[in-house]
Amino acid sequence: MSFLIDRDTRLIVQGITGREGTFHTEQMLAYDTNVVAGVTPGKGGSEVLGVPVYNTVLEAMERHNANTTVLFVPPKFLYGAAYEAIMSGMPLVITIAEGTPVHDMLKLHHLAKEKGVTLIGPNSFGVISPGKAKAGFMAHHLFSPGNVGIMSRSATNCYETVFLMKKAGFGQSTVIGVGGDMIPGSTFIDLLPQFEADEETEFIIMIGEIGGSEEELAAAYIKENITKPVIALIAGKNAPKGTSMGHAGAIVSPDGEGSAESKEEALTAVGVCVAESTQDIIRILKGLK
Amino acid sequence: MKLLEYMARDVFDAYEIPSTSGAIAGSLDELKVLAPDQDYPVAIKAQVQTGGRGKAGGIQFADDEQEFLEKGRKILGMTINGFKVKKVFINPKVDIDREMYLSFTLDRKTKLPVMIFSPEGGVEINEIAEKNPEKLVKQIIPPGNKLDDFFIRYAMDKTGLEPELKDQFMVFCRKLYNAFIGHDCMLAEINPLIVDPDGKLLALDSKVDIDDNALYRHPEILPFKDEMTSDATVREARSFNFLFIPIKDEGNIAIISNGSGMIMSTIDLISKNKMHVTCVLDLGGGATSDRVKEALRIVASRRNVDTIFINIFGGITRCDEIAGGVDAAMGNLGDTRLLIRLEGTNKEAGLSLLESLEGNIRIVDGLDEGVAALGEEVKA
Repeated sequence: MSFLIDRDTRLIVQGITGREGTFHTEQMLAYDTNVVAGVTPGKGGSEVLGVPVYNTVLEAMERHNANTTVLFVPPKFLYGAAYEAIMSGMPLVITIAEGTPVHDMLKLHHLAKEKGVTLIGPNSFGVISPGKAKAGFMAHHLFSPGNVGIMSRSATNCYETVFLMKKAGFGQSTVIGVGGDMIPGSTFIDLLPQFEADEETEFIIMIGEIGGSEEELAAAYIKENITKPVIALIAGKNAPKGTSMGHAGAIVSPDGEGSAESKEEALTAVGVCVAESTQDIIRILKGLK
Repeated sequence: MKLLEYMARDVFDAYEIPSTSGAIAGSLDELKVLAPDQDYPVAIKAQVQTGGRGKAGGIQFADDEQEFLEKGRKILGMTINGFKVKKVFINPKVDIDREMYLSFTLDRKTKLPVMIFSPEGGVEINEIAEKNPEKLVKQIIPPGNKLDDFFIRYAMDKTGLEPELKDQFMVFCRKLYNAFIGHDCMLAEINPLIVDPDGKLLALDSKVDIDDNALYRHPEILPFKDEMTSDATVREARSFNFLFIPIKDEGNIAIISNGSGMIMSTIDLISKNKMHVTCVLDLGGGATSDRVKEALRIVASRRNVDTIFINIFGGITRCDEIAGGVDAAMGNLGDTRLLIRLEGTNKEAGLSLLESLEGNIRIVDGLDEGVAALGEEVKA
């Protein structure tokens, strides 16, 4: 059993009637994901690709016993849609949009914690349990089933990693896009306990980058609580200070907070294998096997 | 987006934060129009998106019209920390009894707002932290978006703020916090927050940094976005919805890629191999050949660029569209050398088109292989 999404996931798609929502619902269905309903306020009663659409998350949950939602809504509407899902009691809320205001995430991050909801993203490709189900827009053909769990702040670095893994004969248990924003719904330390408990995960890869202190916090947590081998990559070692590198969260402050050096140092000190590049992750994986 | 002081002052005014009223001038002619109406002495302040303008001579005082024009013109010609001064903000000169510091910003570790206060302001906050750590309070505001009064009272007592200033300070804090939340700020800072000889608190400077992703909620500020971007290439790239980032002046290599993480990794690998990346352009997802052509034109015309490494890992981005853009741009790239790595969606179609092209172009398979080839090309 994969811990976030699996064959028994009953997924709803918020924003299913939009262009992106419809396109990726088709992709998720093609991957045999159990998409049970869609939600678009005002479009209740219609159907998209044979999937029934409702006006509210509550109704979709009530009629289909849905347990996960993925939000294909523009950043302007992310707050409202995620708020509805959290307050409706949805246990797992996966957000995708890039460009969500940070003050919106400030509220949602803490609201989700308070309500005991797992909030993933935004600025994320979503979550995939290869061969079982996906909730998001990731290029699923790159992924393959296996025993390596991945959490990544970057989609492209994750793609590169799973592509190289496939070539080398490695696969993944669960892959989570924690996203590139300054305040994500879930951070590395929120997800590490689940990877540690997950029977299908034997190795953990953490793809981090400059900015913030999530990797440092993860290092402290790993030291006390994680027995599985962890491999980490920190992107952005040579990025200029004070410049956001595209991801809103990928910025080293002028006084040096959030630097790659600080993260690599903290991780190395607790025995995490720090990779120099995506290719280097494969070398380390081979050594651990 | 970091606002200039006079724009931040408009935000402060909207929340009724007490400050001086000022005028703005961008040329000698505008200074001449303002000169007769000033109530001298006045302060003339350079409007730049950088700190340390005082030390650089960017704040000066004038006692009469002649001095006003001389000094105003001088400041308008300055460049401070690489930022050209295009405007000056003119305020009445205020007598200062003492200077304090107050700001609200985001604490990334706790993912909460933090209030930072020191009754010893006027210098950079890091300096206060080093010299007078006991005079500095950092108070995290817990979830709920409400600033309770006891947090403010705690900060005042902790730093020994005089009782006669407490009521005014309380009001200042609430108003600045309202501005921080209401205007989607990454930072709202008053430094110095001064006490004048009558014991009145006044914001003598205003620093506001607004979340770019929330600018749509503040339409009055949106039009300044281009004005606040001094780099013309960044502005042009933005008009096509690309993100262009200058990295350093050294080096002749540019990177075009389709995602922030991949761009950072590519810079890291190239730097590790002792080469220098001068700039990067992020296409984002799903770029069409027309847009790829524009991206190549923009990057190739950037100063110092003689080699462009196109590193694509296509998910929603299609490799054949990338190749089509290269094909369309080829005639206009001059001597620029192209190194191209394509992976992902429609890779084969992309590669077969690229292989048919003539010119200064080399195709590589894989990121590490690409960086190795880059080494050979640059040294050749």
